[in-house]
Amino acid sequence: MFNRRNLSLAAGMAAAVALTAGALIASTARAEPEVAVGSPAPAFTGLDSNGQTISLSDFSGKTVVLEWTNDGCPFVQKHYTSPPANMQTLQADAASNDVVWISVISSAPGRQGYVTGDAANALTITRGAVPAHVVLDPSGDIGRLYGAKTTPHMFVIRDDGVIAYQGAIDSKASSRVSDIATATNYVRDALASVAAGQPVAVASSKPYGCSVKYN
Amino acid sequence: MMRSLSSLFAAFCVAALVPAQAAPVDGGHARVELISERNAVLPGETVFAALKMELDPDWHVYWRNAGDAGLPPELIVRDSSTVTADAVGGFIWPIPQLLPVVPGEIMDYGYSTEVVLPFPLTIPDDASGRVQFDVTADYLICEEICVPERADVSLTLDVGAIEPDTVNGNLIGDWILKAPVPFAGEARVDTASVPWQLSLRGAPDLDRSDSLRFFPFDHEISHPADQPASHGPAGATLSLTPAGTGGVDGPLQGVLVIERPDGTRTGYEISAPQGDVFADTAGLAAIRASGGGGGKSLVLLAFFALIGGLILNLMPCVLPVLSIKAMGMVSAAASGRASELRSHGLWYTGGVLVSFAVLAGAIVAVRAATGSATLGFQLQNAPTVAILALVMFVIGLWLMGMFELGTSIQNTGSTLASRNGAAGAFFTGVLAAVVGAPCVGPFLGAALGAVMSQPAHAVFVVFLAMGFGLALPFLLLSFVPGLQRLLPRPGKWMETLKQFFAFPMFLTAAWLLSVLGALAGHGAVAWTVAGATAIAFAIWLARRGNMPARVAAAAVLVVGFAYPAVRAMAPGGIEGTPTAYAAKYATEAWSPERIAELTAEGRPVFVDFTATWCATCQLNKLSTLKTDAVHQAFADADVAFLVADFTRKDPVIAAELKLRERAGVPMYLWYPAGAAEPQILPEILTKDLVIGLAAGN
Repeated sequence: MFNRRNLSLAAGMAAAVALTAGALIASTARAEPEVAVGSPAPAFTGLDSNGQTISLSDFSGKTVVLEWTNDGCPFVQKHYTSPPANMQTLQADAASNDVVWISVISSAPGRQGYVTGDAANALTITRGAVPAHVVLDPSGDIGRLYGAKTTPHMFVIRDDGVIAYQGAIDSKASSRVSDIATATNYVRDALASVAAGQPVAVASSKPYGCSVKYN
Repeated sequence: MMRSLSSLFAAFCVAALVPAQAAPVDGGHARVELISERNAVLPGETVFAALKMELDPDWHVYWRNAGDAGLPPELIVRDSSTVTADAVGGFIWPIPQLLPVVPGEIMDYGYSTEVVLPFPLTIPDDASGRVQFDVTADYLICEEICVPERADVSLTLDVGAIEPDTVNGNLIGDWILKAPVPFAGEARVDTASVPWQLSLRGAPDLDRSDSLRFFPFDHEISHPADQPASHGPAGATLSLTPAGTGGVDGPLQGVLVIERPDGTRTGYEISAPQGDVFADTAGLAAIRASGGGGGKSLVLLAFFALIGGLILNLMPCVLPVLSIKAMGMVSAAASGRASELRSHGLWYTGGVLVSFAVLAGAIVAVRAATGSATLGFQLQNAPTVAILALVMFVIGLWLMGMFELGTSIQNTGSTLASRNGAAGAFFTGVLAAVVGAPCVGPFLGAALGAVMSQPAHAVFVVFLAMGFGLALPFLLLSFVPGLQRLLPRPGKWMETLKQFFAFPMFLTAAWLLSVLGALAGHGAVAWTVAGATAIAFAIWLARRGNMPARVAAAAVLVVGFAYPAVRAMAPGGIEGTPTAYAAKYATEAWSPERIAELTAEGRPVFVDFTATWCATCQLNKLSTLKTDAVHQAFADADVAFLVADFTRKDPVIAAELKLRERAGVPMYLWYPAGAAEPQILPEILTKDLVIGLAAGN
């Protein structure tokens, strides 16, 4: 009885110390990520929805697209609404052009968009999506490594590992499906330029959408 | 026939839209409405209308630049509108608030609770009869999750003689005043190195106590990063962290929001061309942080609170209580059982933390009820002071050996006895916290003042950190075997020392009685002394040993504590006048009006915010303020010496402390000759400092 009280007291104090220490660590890890167009894409390793370990280096020599996603976010839903199935079409085009499409879910457990591997696979089927991999990043480490701020937030990485594009999926920051038809799709343009070996006209833009639901 | 019927129906529908302004439309998480400054308009004129949104608690909508995520609201003119889209001007954006989504990582800019977004509306030249303005308000509204909402809202305006809508006109006017005005001074941004320097000079008057924040129109800078400010005689400079996605094309544009210490916020629209930092706009640290992430400043505050809690151990009002703790530690260490020592340390820490949590809770509750709270307020409550004085007295008696705590309990078994030791340690922790709180003085004043205006959780974090700091020395002592070996061996000296420690307790009781006298008059002091006598009598009775005597002792004990408390609650006989100084100086009572008069005369003014229960205040009086040298220096420089006595609750003084972001007294303000705003002096004064100030005039 007495010992148990002591234990709970000790646990309380440990929590207080951990709180302080955790906050200190958080404050030191606050520098703006060094992810910029024209610089090498940061290497990452994560588990995909099938439990396989995926590393960016597995796809060296291929063009890679990273798509931060959250199925509960209205801006993600905008681009998955079918028709026009904007995101699915981009994924299918990527697959047919030997471009590796990786959807990344950085939602923390308990927050909007967090899914298990099975749920992620079920989502892929129900949405008619065709990404090469869905990487689960509940710790938010990969998201923070890339400085992903919103869902969607898109990155195009050239076959030499250099970031060719980062930012919004298209030019019309809205949640209206009707805007897709009249918007300039930056990802499609970037992929076309990369495939043609030409510089990307709009290489960086401000991503729009929901905030990434980090822990 | 059908046609004419349907047109009749349409006419009814239009008639139903009158009066001109329809009720708010519920978009889901916001009540949305179009309002106008006019009920009736002239063809061709431009009037101000506005999108008015009342948001659910904790939901927000966004500024023109939403920051890292989010979207600003927009209006889409519907086909049914008789005003076309090109007649609708852009929103006049009120200055936004920071919305830290993930502190330090994702920062949004926007509004919560209510926002009115005014915009100009040009009435068509050929308008006649009635103008129908139909729009869809399309906005993203977020709490934990984001929801895009749409609300179809309308405005119907009669065309004819101008007829103002004064209520909505005033509301729109108020919100237009919340929009930024052009920056009258100069601004330049130096992007040559990281962080960038945004240098500001000229108007408006930037004070070191202002909090500055730059809200960019675009995304050149990192939104979540802090913007440390530095000041100079000519202006101020903000350090901005670039976003890492390239530099700036042309000038850096946005809104500089200046928050004054009283909470008023003013926005200035800035267009800063690239160039070197202006001379004399940097070098002096800001008094207030620019509060970017919130999290980081809280960590710093908690850290300072921890250090402050450590220092609290040395404060004169905590030391007597700690003497009891020290005794307990020595006996526990002497028992040779490390576990007992550890349990002592843990229970003591628990007592301190629980007390500080209760204190934080009380402060949050008082703040919620009255809008302000200050530390030491428990010593402004006469019954509390009376009971504390009696508690000190009883502890003194115990130290003297008048009675033994828990001897009768010990007979019931060793388990209970060890629990009794635990309860004793816990109680010591509680006492240390209660008596220590008014002594926070020098090191904690600023940190606590800053946290007073922060959300409840921040208050708790800082208070718990402070409590942990207070408990830390004993906790370490009880857990580190090497330190335990440094403790002296028990012996007869312990009894002697224990008895000696009674005297600081009696002195503390005497000090508390003097506080009580100032609060509730000498009657309350007399009754408290009588109560002390009753308690001593009760203890004497209890030592007689037989049952009736013990029952009588318990009754007398209750009366001995309760009656002085009741008496102390009665309205005091005397007003709290700063008589302490009277013998030495011709002092005056402080009031904001008197400050205004004196500063208008151009006289230098020294203000002493003090209280009889504030130990640091008494120390400063002895060391500095009551000395002849300071007296002479003030007389030579014609310094007006004002005293604000906070011994009793005083809303005007409390407001001034809050304005200066101080949690309690002491606070010393120095108005140099001709200055309207004071310098806040350190909480520990020295003669050199004060004489230097006076002589500098």
